[in-house]
Amino acid sequence: MPACSRRPAALLLALATSLLLASCGDSSNQTRLTVTGSSTVAPLMAEIALQFEKNHPDVRVDVQTGGSSRGVADARRGLADIGMASRALNDDESDLTAHTIAYDGIGMIVHADNPVRALSPQQIIDIYQGRIDNWQAVGGPDAQIIVVNKAQGRSTLEIFLEHFELAAPSIKADVVIGDNEQGIKTVAGNPYALGYVSIGAAEYAVGADEPLRLLPLEGVEASTANVRNQRYPMRRPLNLVTRGPLEGPAAALVAHAQSSSVDPLIRQLYFVIPQR
Amino acid sequence: MDDWLPASGRTRGRTAAADRTAAGAAWMCAVIVTLAFGWIAADLLWHGLSRLTPGFLFEMPQLSGRAGGLASIIVSTLAILAICLAAAVPIGLGAAILLAEYSRSDRRLGRFVRRSLDVLAGVPSIVFGLFGNAFFCVYLGMGFSLLAGGLTLACMVLPLLIRSLEQGLREVPDDWRNAAAALGMSKAATLRSILLPAALPGLVVGLVLGMGRALAETAALLFTSGYVMRMPGSVMDSGRALSIHIFDLSMNVPGGTGNAYGAAVVLLLMLLTVNLLALAIARRWQLTQPGPL
Repeated sequence: MPACSRRPAALLLALATSLLLASCGDSSNQTRLTVTGSSTVAPLMAEIALQFEKNHPDVRVDVQTGGSSRGVADARRGLADIGMASRALNDDESDLTAHTIAYDGIGMIVHADNPVRALSPQQIIDIYQGRIDNWQAVGGPDAQIIVVNKAQGRSTLEIFLEHFELAAPSIKADVVIGDNEQGIKTVAGNPYALGYVSIGAAEYAVGADEPLRLLPLEGVEASTANVRNQRYPMRRPLNLVTRGPLEGPAAALVAHAQSSSVDPLIRQLYFVIPQR
Repeated sequence: MDDWLPASGRTRGRTAAADRTAAGAAWMCAVIVTLAFGWIAADLLWHGLSRLTPGFLFEMPQLSGRAGGLASIIVSTLAILAICLAAAVPIGLGAAILLAEYSRSDRRLGRFVRRSLDVLAGVPSIVFGLFGNAFFCVYLGMGFSLLAGGLTLACMVLPLLIRSLEQGLREVPDDWRNAAAALGMSKAATLRSILLPAALPGLVVGLVLGMGRALAETAALLFTSGYVMRMPGSVMDSGRALSIHIFDLSMNVPGGTGNAYGAAVVLLLMLLTVNLLALAIARRWQLTQPGPL
């Protein structure tokens, strides 16, 4: 009987021992690169890293998240070889170098049957804050505007709020959505809805004959081309951030992330490929 | 003589009505709680069950988790949980024994430890994450690793574990301790053969609560065990836990919602399995233990 009663303890001991042995067996002579920062860039960078490792078996890239500020701080303090930031560098960060690997742009979308051709920034602000709630006030039919907003924590919500200088609690939304597909389905299924999604995702949906229309912003047509040439205003760069001169595997990784071999990865995540 | 009868009947009627209301309210609350759980479980299963194929469990994740399976994620999660328990159970056991068996005379020490534990139990997990990052990852030089994540979780789980184990030890009647002393048993022997087996339910409750909290943890792990999706080769490697994977798929990866649901179902099933396993081990131990039970 006592043998039986000790079995769980023995099991635990065996587990702990095997873990310890496993940790001793770490004999890799690989170079390890640590990349930390923006949670928007991280999924893209993780894919880029995977691709990079295939061509460079002697390098191992660990991608961690934690936000753009963390990426900048870690790159500056040397805790990370490369930082990630989903914004341009500020004036007080001139000791660092930013390498843009992609752009993230978002566009306002309405149903294809909606006669409204454009909304001014002020009109958009008023609609999202509930001061305008009928399409008639902006030159449309007499119907209530269905305001579609993104859920908290989404990077598209951040760009939207930042661009229009809005605070999250001041927004009065009728529908709160998660990802781009959900936003596209919601607006395509409601002739009186107004929403915003990644431009890449919206262009793809329009190409697939979804009843959608992208609205121009400040007179600039919302398109991936205009994000790429930086004319479209509601966009942000996705940057890798480094400090000091780049050399060795880190330089190779940054070069790879800026090469056209990552284009399919950028497109898959609905980001915009920069001018090469 | 007969004027108290109707009065009493009225009182009895009022009491019965009050009883019925109270019982009804209690039932309502129970139904609400069950409904809340049922809703969550049904929503998860509805969206996620179709994803649950053997391939989903045993293949490596691809395209940031939108395709492929969860193999490396599940391995990392279990490794973090094992490290957490391997660190938390011995320390928790020791601390609980001190509190329940040795600190009765030394009341100030006991009160201080207990107060610290209660404060620790209420600390938000992101604080543990930042602490874990600063202490284990940077100061002790572990970097982003499964080890750092498991140890951070152990710090988080310890208060739950200690308090419920202490409760279990306290519920053992003093007569048993006196009887053991009268038989000339040493304190250590009393603990091992009588008190600990009797306190086993407390240990199991603590373990189940602790493992639940550990498996569900996201914030504390983001900064300690990290985000890397590779299959971990050692405890010093960074590895992504299931909860972080679900968070990332649903928040940062376009088109990841479907697999996020699938991963959530896996997490739910893992939680149920771990709970049932803990209960089964405890029951078996109690049955085979030649103790007072």
